[in-house]
Amino acid sequence: MSERPEFSSHMSDISRRDLLRNIAVALTAVGTGTLEPLSAKHVHGEVGKEKKTAGAYTPKCFNQHEYATLSTLTEIIIPADDQSAGAREAGAPEFIDLLSSQNEELANIFIGGILWLDRQMQRRYSSSFLDASQVQQAEVLDLLAAASDKKKERPAYTPSEEYRGFEDYRVKQSSPLAAGTRFFQWTRRMTTDAFYTSPIGIKDIGFKGNGYANEYVVPKESIEYALERSPFGSN
Amino acid sequence: MVSSARTITNVPTQNLSFRSWIFYASILRMARLQPKSKIHDVVVIGSGAGGGTVVHTLTKMGVEVALLEAGPMVDPSKDFKEHMWPYEVDHRGAEEGAPYYFGRQQWPYFRAPNGFWQDEGEPYTVAPGSDFHWFRSRILGGRTNHYGRISLRFADYDFKPYSFDGLGDDWPITYEDIAPYYDKAESFIGVTGSIEGIRSAPDGIFQTCPAPKAHELLIKQACDRMGIPCIPNRRAVITKYHEGRGACHYCGQCGRGCVTASNYSSSQVQIFPAMKTGKLEIFEQAMVREILSDQNGRATAVSYIDKRTRSEKQIRCRAVVLAASACESARLLLNSKSSRFPSGLANNSGVVGRYLTDNVGLGLKGYIPSLEGMPIYDTDGMGGAHLYMPWWELDKKNKDFPRGYHIEIGGGYRMPELGSFQGAIARHGGYGKGLKSKIRKEYGAFVQFAGRGEMIPNHLSYCEIDPTVVDQWGIPVLRFHFKWSDHEWKQARHMERTFAEIIDTMGGEVVGLTTPGREGKGISVPGAIIHELGTVRMGSDPRNSALNQYCQAHEVRNLFVADAGPFVSNPDKNPTLTITALAWRTSEYLAEEMRKGHV
Repeated sequence: MSERPEFSSHMSDISRRDLLRNIAVALTAVGTGTLEPLSAKHVHGEVGKEKKTAGAYTPKCFNQHEYATLSTLTEIIIPADDQSAGAREAGAPEFIDLLSSQNEELANIFIGGILWLDRQMQRRYSSSFLDASQVQQAEVLDLLAAASDKKKERPAYTPSEEYRGFEDYRVKQSSPLAAGTRFFQWTRRMTTDAFYTSPIGIKDIGFKGNGYANEYVVPKESIEYALERSPFGSN
Repeated sequence: MVSSARTITNVPTQNLSFRSWIFYASILRMARLQPKSKIHDVVVIGSGAGGGTVVHTLTKMGVEVALLEAGPMVDPSKDFKEHMWPYEVDHRGAEEGAPYYFGRQQWPYFRAPNGFWQDEGEPYTVAPGSDFHWFRSRILGGRTNHYGRISLRFADYDFKPYSFDGLGDDWPITYEDIAPYYDKAESFIGVTGSIEGIRSAPDGIFQTCPAPKAHELLIKQACDRMGIPCIPNRRAVITKYHEGRGACHYCGQCGRGCVTASNYSSSQVQIFPAMKTGKLEIFEQAMVREILSDQNGRATAVSYIDKRTRSEKQIRCRAVVLAASACESARLLLNSKSSRFPSGLANNSGVVGRYLTDNVGLGLKGYIPSLEGMPIYDTDGMGGAHLYMPWWELDKKNKDFPRGYHIEIGGGYRMPELGSFQGAIARHGGYGKGLKSKIRKEYGAFVQFAGRGEMIPNHLSYCEIDPTVVDQWGIPVLRFHFKWSDHEWKQARHMERTFAEIIDTMGGEVVGLTTPGREGKGISVPGAIIHELGTVRMGSDPRNSALNQYCQAHEVRNLFVADAGPFVSNPDKNPTLTITALAWRTSEYLAEEMRKGHV
């Protein structure tokens, strides 16, 4: 993931035997406590490999229809665009299903939410969410988004000057779809969480860190870019 | 020889359930305990910054130490999650059962273990009308495995606050007394910084601090205009090879624990090396219940519960150093009652548990449009910021609150984690490509400011033993009382105005509080900054202090305290470096007193 050279130059002198011994010592004895960066990288690489192997995911919590509906929803929330794939490919449906299988409260939010959504779609378009057209899906999601929009809420009180910028208490606008906003917000929350913690999302956002460097350098072009556009100007 | 039946005389009379518990415990002790023959030189209770420093200093001087830690050992290569990507675990950090999503996660998954705000097995209580959050870290190294590594010397006036402005009390030591130990601490653990000559931020012995990041340079420009000094940060991170430890590799993940020990943790930097001296014996999972003392007022042994077997054990010693954290140390003293010390060991003054303080905290977040679209680079750095702002209005007249605060800053392109973009989706609403591109555009364009300010000790803030509650080890728990005074509230308003002005000067806009859950009332929840201290204060008068200037109990000459309990005030500087310096000074004094046969 990191575009930087992975290890500092002097690290390449370390023989493989030294490296393995270093790791072995650190793994077997509390008491040494230090690892060189190269060894650290190796140890954590091993941890990464213990992760699930690739392959088709079998839902643990949702039935086939629920899982398909959820997958479509996550993809609508964070879709593929010209820069990266969407939430489905980034593993959002698996993430939500896995945690829902371990947490009844979460499972209820999603199972109940999907049933509620299908009921709304049936009433409006005589179709399930999955079978509806993209335009129909968007119509309902737009209404849900509007019902969830904080900006459309009115403040419960006028904050004092000192508390400008603080979290205000707000009163929700009533909406025929208000009952679905909790489910919608949970889906948005967990979809964005899953997307941006995936390799696809981390690449999309452009994160460049989590590396190893001998020296910390801030690129001149970034500093100049920020200063030029700031009230201070470049100097 | 410790008599196992002796403490029956400790039975307090005011509370029946408490008395019956003591009786039960005494029976258990009589049945199970076999007094051990070995007498250790020194028993150290707790392995954080204070305990680690005592262990390091004493073993180096040839003193035999038994270290009792209430949690398990730590193995950095297995326990620290440095460099792990969130996707390397299926739950991405939410943990099995998703406690993260329901506010039930005790401690962030990727952070160095172990920390908790609430533990069913080891509870504490809060008196009606008070609010207090008590953070504990039960593991070798304690909070030093994950803390922010901010290392600020207290200033000359911080040791003489009463003389300075008539509030609080003076310490029994001066800056000159502790300065040589700040030197030793900084030289040994390694602290970044620069020589500045600012009175509120005394200079020390520094490693080079890495270069400021782009957003930090903008902040510095704003601060220059406002007359606020913005200087290289002082953190316990080594930027060159030092004392057998490799230099920082700039991953910015200090809070996860550093596998290369390039930052300070007492476990890796002090205790592991001390284990090699042959002078140190570690008792893990040892929850200390009581310090036993004799009729001459000497501490004779420490009684603890071995958590693995739930059995009580005793360990005999020539001296005891209490370094369990300020409140835990106060709890232990208050629970160590005898006929000679009816209100707790070394507490005939009644001050143990009193003068509890925490730093004042408030944080604001701002959005800075000039950072939008900046060429993205690695902003991890040495973890935390590369600049900070020490207090700048020391000499200003007509302030509406006493003392001051320092400012910590945040910002940059952070590694995405659960919750990273929840602010964005809450602000923007909606979904789809529009939302995705807004998140992309805003990434890295936020800055955060956090104030850490001085609280003046007050008589409404203290801890005491709850008369009716014991923890799962049968040990009576603490009950907290806490009130911020006007001093602190007004200081928090000053923080708010200052941060908003810095953001404004940068051409940005205030987004809101950085931590509304903790600071939504306009000031941090008491205890939440985790700089709680002052509960076993030092002083020159035994009538109003528990310890003398060497942190030695006035009433128990072989009992010392080496955490933040002895602090007389809680200045606008994070306490860890001063804990280390003070513990170092205490250890040298203790070793010398032992050599002379006084202890």
